Amino acid sequence: MRITEDCIACDVCIPYCPVKAISMGDDIAQINDDECVECGVCFRSGVCPTDAFQETPLEWPRIIRKVLSDPLVESPDTRVPGRGTEEVKTNEVSGRIKLGWAGIAIELGRPGVGTRFTDVQKVTMAMAAMGGVFEHENPVTFWITDQKTGKLREDILNEKSLSAIVEVAFPIDKLKAAIQKLQEVSKQLDTVCSVVTAVKVSPDGSFSTDKIFKELGLTPYPNSKNNVGLGRPLFKFEEVS
Amino acid sequence: MTHTLHRQGTRESLSRDYPLVAVMAHGINDKGGGPKLGKFLEICWRHGPVNLGDMKQGSVFTYNAEKIYKNVSDTTIVECVFDDLNKVEAVLRDLKKEDLGVPVVVSGLTDKVRECCQKAGLEIHTVAQSLGVWGDTSRLPSKDILEITTMCGHAMVSSSLIEMMIEDIKKGTITPEKAAEKLAKPCECGIFNPTRAAELLAKAAAK
Repeated sequence: MRITEDCIACDVCIPYCPVKAISMGDDIAQINDDECVECGVCFRSGVCPTDAFQETPLEWPRIIRKVLSDPLVESPDTRVPGRGTEEVKTNEVSGRIKLGWAGIAIELGRPGVGTRFTDVQKVTMAMAAMGGVFEHENPVTFWITDQKTGKLREDILNEKSLSAIVEVAFPIDKLKAAIQKLQEVSKQLDTVCSVVTAVKVSPDGSFSTDKIFKELGLTPYPNSKNNVGLGRPLFKFEEVS
Repeated sequence: MTHTLHRQGTRESLSRDYPLVAVMAHGINDKGGGPKLGKFLEICWRHGPVNLGDMKQGSVFTYNAEKIYKNVSDTTIVECVFDDLNKVEAVLRDLKKEDLGVPVVVSGLTDKVRECCQKAGLEIHTVAQSLGVWGDTSRLPSKDILEITTMCGHAMVSSSLIEMMIEDIKKGTITPEKAAEKLAKPCECGIFNPTRAAELLAKAAAK
């Protein structure tokens, strides 16, 4: 993103930037390229009276900023817009989170802080060390060079996005240790992360994570995200349990 | 597991906040799914959501609802938000009857969503629960701001803009309702709840 000479320095765009990358320069507003995550909010907001925002062509590795920050953009790897992953939204059809397993999604940079991939790598490496299975239909997984170590491509480490979701699965009996490891590594982050666990609901309506949260002294938010099972064709969970 | 999850607030405030999301499963049932997702949106719109959108087109704060649900592509994600659980129940009943085969997620207070699903003859298949925000939380804005900004899971609604709206409400230059509409616009996929935002903005401005 760039601001052209058409800028009249009215400063109305400044509060729209989610990562505070726009500031007033000597004559016109300016964008800090290193902080800008290419989310496009300034451009789409239409607040500029002279249409001075101009989208610029992005090349690798900067393009990943846009893929993970602009929800209107589809990930070229997964063909999913948003942050590039279907996660539990289609689980009744995809069987992504199997019986006896739990998914963990660690969204680095959320809410509203943003993340460098050096921080994303700290989490991918921690989860790899615990034997987690990375979700293959997730853009971050495409940038992991070695799933055993969780190392990311070197050329993306200094890139920044509004958020990046590390999506990994564990057998339910390994979940407690994985969460503990995540608690430990989260203390080393220069950003925040929003943490989710996901499980297929048991036939009696209970969640297999309840006991684990209790043991760890964790209280989930009172609001959750619930797949209500309307998708077809249904995945045959019993065949893989 | 995510963009409609992690919404922060009290139980009382969250009791008026129920986002619904639909997406076809890539490579399984997505071929020809666009019209089905459009039908999902049409059903939702009939029951009076406070916001509605398509991740590839935008929300009703930018475009006409009918135009959105008639132009849905196979590989997009569509959303809407209700501030009334009875309306969610009515939507779920209609969706069950239509049997579109579209995967749908409902976010909101866990016990209330479960009760609502049961009344509509549905059961929760998979649940995603938020364990909150970890890491360097000193970088976060205040609780008042977070309760509003987390209603756009993609972080399109900046904390600076919310702060400015609160100041403008204090000065009397904008109403909480108009300020909430202004904040809803950057949230392209339409999951920002303007009704709840107006309540929270008024509360923050009154402090």
